[in-house]
Amino acid sequence: MTRGATKYLPLLPVYLIYLVLFLVAEGMPGMWQLMAMLVFYCAVGQAFNIFLGMTGYVNFGYVAFLALGTYGMALSIYHFHQLPLGVGIVLLGLLLAVVMAVLLALMVGAVALRLGGAYFAIATIGVNEGFRYLIEGTKIWGGSEGIIFSKQLLDTFGREVANKLSTFWADVSVLIIAALAALITLHFIRGKTGYALMALREDEEAAKVMGINVTKYKLIAFVTSAALAGLIGAMAWGLKLTYVFPPEAFDISYTVEGIIIVMLGGAGTLLGPVVGGLLYGLAKYWLTVILPGFQLLIFAPIIIVVVVAFPEGIVGMLRQRLKGTPFEPFVL
Amino acid sequence: MTWEQLGGNLIQGLILGGVYGMATMGLSLIFGVLRVVNVGHGAFVMVGAFVAFWLFTALGLTPIAAIPAALVVGMALGFLFFYSVMRRLVGAPELTSLLATFAMGIILEEVVKLIFGTEFRGYNWDVGKMDLSVTVLPLAKLYAFIGSVAIAALLYFWFNRTRAGTAVRSVVEDSEGARVCGVNVGWVYALSFALGIGLTVTSGVLLTMFIPVGINPYMGGVYTLKAFVIAVLGGLASPYGAFFAGVIFGLIENGSYSLFALVPGLEPFAMTRFLSFAILLLILLIRPTGLLGTK
Amino acid sequence: MKLDRVTKRFGGLVAVNEVSLEIEQGELIGIVGPNGSGKTTLYNLISGIYHPDEGRVFFEGRDITDLPPYERAHLGIARTFQISRPFGSATVRENVAVGALFGTLHGQIGVEEAMEVADRYIELVGLTPERDKPAGALTPVEKKLMEIARALAMRPKLLLMDEAMAGMHPKDIDKLVAFLRKVRDEEGIAIVAMVEHIMRAVVGMAERVMVMHQGRKMVDAPTAEALGDQRVVDIYLGRPLEEV
Repeated sequence: MTRGATKYLPLLPVYLIYLVLFLVAEGMPGMWQLMAMLVFYCAVGQAFNIFLGMTGYVNFGYVAFLALGTYGMALSIYHFHQLPLGVGIVLLGLLLAVVMAVLLALMVGAVALRLGGAYFAIATIGVNEGFRYLIEGTKIWGGSEGIIFSKQLLDTFGREVANKLSTFWADVSVLIIAALAALITLHFIRGKTGYALMALREDEEAAKVMGINVTKYKLIAFVTSAALAGLIGAMAWGLKLTYVFPPEAFDISYTVEGIIIVMLGGAGTLLGPVVGGLLYGLAKYWLTVILPGFQLLIFAPIIIVVVVAFPEGIVGMLRQRLKGTPFEPFVL
Repeated sequence: MTWEQLGGNLIQGLILGGVYGMATMGLSLIFGVLRVVNVGHGAFVMVGAFVAFWLFTALGLTPIAAIPAALVVGMALGFLFFYSVMRRLVGAPELTSLLATFAMGIILEEVVKLIFGTEFRGYNWDVGKMDLSVTVLPLAKLYAFIGSVAIAALLYFWFNRTRAGTAVRSVVEDSEGARVCGVNVGWVYALSFALGIGLTVTSGVLLTMFIPVGINPYMGGVYTLKAFVIAVLGGLASPYGAFFAGVIFGLIENGSYSLFALVPGLEPFAMTRFLSFAILLLILLIRPTGLLGTK
Repeated sequence: MKLDRVTKRFGGLVAVNEVSLEIEQGELIGIVGPNGSGKTTLYNLISGIYHPDEGRVFFEGRDITDLPPYERAHLGIARTFQISRPFGSATVRENVAVGALFGTLHGQIGVEEAMEVADRYIELVGLTPERDKPAGALTPVEKKLMEIARALAMRPKLLLMDEAMAGMHPKDIDKLVAFLRKVRDEEGIAIVAMVEHIMRAVVGMAERVMVMHQGRKMVDAPTAEALGDQRVVDIYLGRPLEEV
């Protein structure tokens, strides 16, 4: 096999998992919603991992970027549904989602990423609160009431297509975004960016004197992660639910979920967020059935245990085990 | 705005700011000594608010009695978290302590939710009002302010006049040097963390005078943000910088609320929350070492 | 490289006090001084971790005082650290490849080529058997060698070494000195070695020695002359050179 092809081997297990999820969703009645949830958590994990896992910085305001993506889709359909764009209105929503998420990330990142991790963490804690209250305080974008755009979606596409968009294409898009996120992650890990991020994660000062513009690379990871979050928000929340409501969209528990998925699965690895996403999604599913309302109480201590006892996560440990075996090239 | 309103705003802002300042001292103490940002800060404030609420409604005890109770509860929580978790994370990558304190905050919120539920609660400690002609000041708020100043003064005395306080200061300045000079650095870490949490929980008691019906397991988030703005303004590692920055922040917040209320179409309460974030970004942009910092 | 009366203060303490220094291409210089004499601060000023309170820093005639560390690295300033700072979880090869990717060759080579450059320098310092180990698992001496390889892979014009020979066996020091001389001859790199004690390395390698004392430059002269200087003997060495 050529070197070029072996580079992509680690994508195989990731895409295999996604294929299985899709086939189960399509083939087994009643499984669609569960599979969609699993894909959502895998996608969130991968987007989150590109920043948290690869830089070692925490974005506590992560959910704000999902929320902005949701608003991007909502604003596009709510305000521009009369334009003769057809399905283009959804593409416009995606574009708006990415642009808004990227702009916010650039603004916060340019200011706070020059500084150490403590300052950055503090700034991102503020992003979520700050942005939510900007919307509520200035009463833009529906203020604290949010935006409901199911009617506009219906008017534009008719019942059948609108339904198909919300119940099928929204979920499939999240799967495609997850696959894209995996590709980007691999590209980062194996490329120059990955070396820069590895170096600054291990020792930022040493990385600087080695010639690495650490602020630039942190910003690249932050903006990429934010853009993917915007896309996920636009599809998994916007198009799927056809409304956006600030207290839900800015709910900090999604940040908690992102952290646990990445840390449990293996920060900075390619397969980790997928494994973490599957485990977390399944656990949450069972817990909502047997112990509703206890998810956070159960998962917060798990974050502590993982951080203290095995910070390399499941896939990190797996890679140690597989060293020198034929499976090594497949697990990254 | 008239001069009278301005005077009233200044007084209310000063009173609120003093309490904000005290509410941030614990955060700064922990950062100064352990170089750990307590991301779960607001959850500890929330615990203090519930201590005051529970003592008042269940046992009929006033917030004055709740202060020592909150300090004890807070220090106990602090020692518990330090010896179970934080001890292993001092000097580890920043990421680990950020995630751990974040998770601690979540645990507290969820435990309190289990006990008290999620509805908003409040209590009314009515000890009269004072008419200052420019504004009417509930005495409960005045007592909260006096309590904050007294606690800050006690802390100052403790830092400068006691052996333990001096040891803590020496670790803030140079932990290696302190170790060489025979300071038990491990104990200083534990004590500072516990004291920092104790102060934070105590501040939760004082803050209840300003939120008549705002006690809820998830009330802490906004105080985390405010405390961070104040801590950065004060130089992050200095409890006294934090206290004075708190006063400045209180004045700004109170004044801006009145200003936002004058602009039609704005929701002033939400805007003051947004303002915290805007100020934070601005400080990080211009002067990340704090307005009162030396460098 | 030229330092023009640079001063750096920390609070009331003057760590580096009006130090001027010129380094020509291909020079081998030793900087000697006891702990706390301002040597590491001087390195931090050259590599850009600190900004001087007074004075300017020049490199190849250009004022680089306000350049961030990474841009100085791109121009050709490389360094090692007193206490080794490997990227611990990455392999030796990946560590050295970072140097190749982001040093003076940045933007010109890809990851694959960087690996080849890395392999060459790993071989030169004799770490080939350790190549695929995590750098964190190396012995202290191996870490020092890895740092030298990593710095050389940056293809620098100026290499600043901070106590690179501490803890090494005298025989290994001689080998390393011979190697560094060869690198200087072949690639024209100016090498500055900073040491606290090991006079052997200074005598063996440096052609010129600067002695620092309490943040000031005390002596700057050819090696034999500098180490024979009465002030150096009195204050620092405590005994004449012949006995070292």
